[in-house]
Amino acid sequence: MNKKLLSLALAGALGLSLTACGGGTTSQPSTNPSTQPSDAQESAAQTESDLQYVKDKGTLVVGITYFEPMDYKAEGSDEWIGFDADMAKEFAESLGVSVEFQEITWDYKVEELNSKAIDCVWNGMTLTDEVLSAMGTSNPYCTNYQVLVYSSDKAADFEGLTSLEGLNVAVESGSAGEDAAVALGATTVPVQSQANTLMEVAAGTSDAAVIDVLMAAAMTGEGTSYADLSYSLNLNDAQGLESEEYGVGFRQGSDLVDAFNSFWADEVASGSALEIATTYGLQDAVILE
Amino acid sequence: MAILDVHNIEKHFGSTRVLEDISFSLEKGQSLAIIGSSGSGKTTLLRCLNFLEKPDQGSIAVNGNVIFDASDPATQRESEVRKKRLHFGMVFQSFNLFPQYTALKNVTLAKELLSQERPDFKQNKKAILDEIQAEGEALLAKMGLAERCNHYPSQLSGGQQQRVAIARALALHPDILCFDEPTSALDPELTGEVLKVIRSLAEQKTTMIIVTHEMAFARDVADEVIFMDGGVIVEKGPAREVIEHPREERTRQFLSRYADAN
Amino acid sequence: MIEFFTSDTFQTVLAALNSGFLKTLQIFFFTLVGALPLGLVISFGSMSRFTPLRWVTRTVVWAIRGTPLVLQIIALFYVPGIQKWFTWPSGESGRMTAVCVAFIINYACYFSEIYRGGIQGVPKGQQEAGQVLGMTKSQIFFHITLLQMIKRIVPPMSNEIITLVKDTSLARVIALQEVIWMGESFMKGNSGISGLVWPLFFTAVYYLVFSGIVTMLLGKLERKLAFFQ
Repeated sequence: MNKKLLSLALAGALGLSLTACGGGTTSQPSTNPSTQPSDAQESAAQTESDLQYVKDKGTLVVGITYFEPMDYKAEGSDEWIGFDADMAKEFAESLGVSVEFQEITWDYKVEELNSKAIDCVWNGMTLTDEVLSAMGTSNPYCTNYQVLVYSSDKAADFEGLTSLEGLNVAVESGSAGEDAAVALGATTVPVQSQANTLMEVAAGTSDAAVIDVLMAAAMTGEGTSYADLSYSLNLNDAQGLESEEYGVGFRQGSDLVDAFNSFWADEVASGSALEIATTYGLQDAVILE
Repeated sequence: MAILDVHNIEKHFGSTRVLEDISFSLEKGQSLAIIGSSGSGKTTLLRCLNFLEKPDQGSIAVNGNVIFDASDPATQRESEVRKKRLHFGMVFQSFNLFPQYTALKNVTLAKELLSQERPDFKQNKKAILDEIQAEGEALLAKMGLAERCNHYPSQLSGGQQQRVAIARALALHPDILCFDEPTSALDPELTGEVLKVIRSLAEQKTTMIIVTHEMAFARDVADEVIFMDGGVIVEKGPAREVIEHPREERTRQFLSRYADAN
Repeated sequence: MIEFFTSDTFQTVLAALNSGFLKTLQIFFFTLVGALPLGLVISFGSMSRFTPLRWVTRTVVWAIRGTPLVLQIIALFYVPGIQKWFTWPSGESGRMTAVCVAFIINYACYFSEIYRGGIQGVPKGQQEAGQVLGMTKSQIFFHITLLQMIKRIVPPMSNEIITLVKDTSLARVIALQEVIWMGESFMKGNSGISGLVWPLFFTAVYYLVFSGIVTMLLGKLERKLAFFQ
């Protein structure tokens, strides 16, 4: 419901900006093959094959944010690598299309999908209720939980905490970590990305951060950029919740979901899913069922 | 035949009537002075002749051709008005020179633009522009400004600026040259040089209409004088007669205020 | 000190910031090229004697100037696709196009008000002098009013243009990777480097140098127009 309201408000604002110049200046938009009446907004993809749309276009646009070890760039390289990036390349190949990685602003991931600016969100995305209701999601492919990251020299203060009350905790705006921090009573500091939350802790502007354990493992501790930070405390346990699961998000009702699920089953069967996961240290996290 | 016939001109600004039943005519080679106090309508009358204001009633004929008739919209089409304007030249109280052009360019600009409409412009472009240039220089020389051709308006005194403005109006060879209080914006010591130029134009039998506050000048230079008050013509006649022996009481009162100055 | 500037890290950051700044420049120049003429058209609309046109134009200008540019960018990029009107071309070019369209519309509205002030500031006598010399409306505009108007608008225009230099950073809201985005990217991670704050602040150098050049050029133009008053 909220999303519809947002769309309406945005449409209103846009309407105004378009009348500015009689609509004549919205230069060279690419033609949209599915011109459905707008009341069919969210179900439009059901009536027309999203898979076919991507194949016709010849490119799978993968929405990402910088997230080691899922989507990142090696030092001195301009190529996106990581468990998610590598699998996305394989998936695109299986569809017979090329792959294009597009960095997005995480808050706008649903709008990015619905406006067809990207075709999927494949970025270590936790399957939260919000994600499940707004996107067409794949079977889970990786497990994850939220952890608390803090400065190593203050580790003693954080051992065995069961509540985050009274702490300023940096979280990625709109993330599963934010939900966990709020549930545990923290005062949250929402920032633009998970990586930025580490900056907050390093700079001392927040007491701690809540991020995915996968990222915490890759980016904190000795030999990483944040050698002075450490993590512990499975916040999912602290809340009495199951571990989280990562999934890939598509447009609602998209037939790309089925295409992905059968692709993934093949990769698991052939052993290449495990092989690539091992490259990035995710052999324990990847789901091989 | 009269070169100019003005018939029954009437003009309102909103509900205020500023001109009422104005009729007069002017012979070729004659000069006419219009006098009267501020707000008497004399400037508005001049602006009507130049199509800067549109009269609500009446007609204007030049050389016997009606160029404006309030009851005939065909005479008011924008494209034609532009050509008809060229019957009249206009010198403004505040000069209105174009500040970004030199004195010479101020004089030649309009003519250059007009010449582009000539069918032979493309072939003879250089010759045509050279001729306009030479003519502009000659006009400025006639105004005593030969040395000032390449000066910008801001580098000229008020009197010099007004003389450039006169040259600019003359460049298009108007049938009738109009002056709207040409010396009112000038310091007193600079009025002489401008009046001298107008006097010599009168001696060369240039047809002119001059709105002025300079009574002595009007008396000595103009052939005819019209005295206006409250939007109507109170008195008209030969210049010397009207100014020295006014018949109307209102004219007398008006002139007595200038007696000291003379 | 010198070691720092020759280090691989510095070179990597510099290359990334350069590529970001190239996009900043693109937004800047496309916006100027589009908004300068469009603003003039809008200013004519807002001075039109045809009342409905004048009313509509002024309302639109009010709406555009009265709402944040960042909101206009978000709306212009996402709403057409969500509403199935059209989709922007995928990849960087679509984002760049959307950003430029939003910037052009927004800045044209600001420019139009400056133009209006400039045109209305030219004394009416200038127009009348042109009229009595038999010039057409367009001749009067191009040969008489225009240059005087330009002289009048250069100082307020300079302010807007300098603001534009800095406003280009708003484009990162739809993930257009201009120079601030690139600077920030080293905080979260880019090319294997993360946790660096200085690249973000180093972008200031780009802005300072560029706005310095723009200021100098506009000052030159202002002096060039000083030959008349």
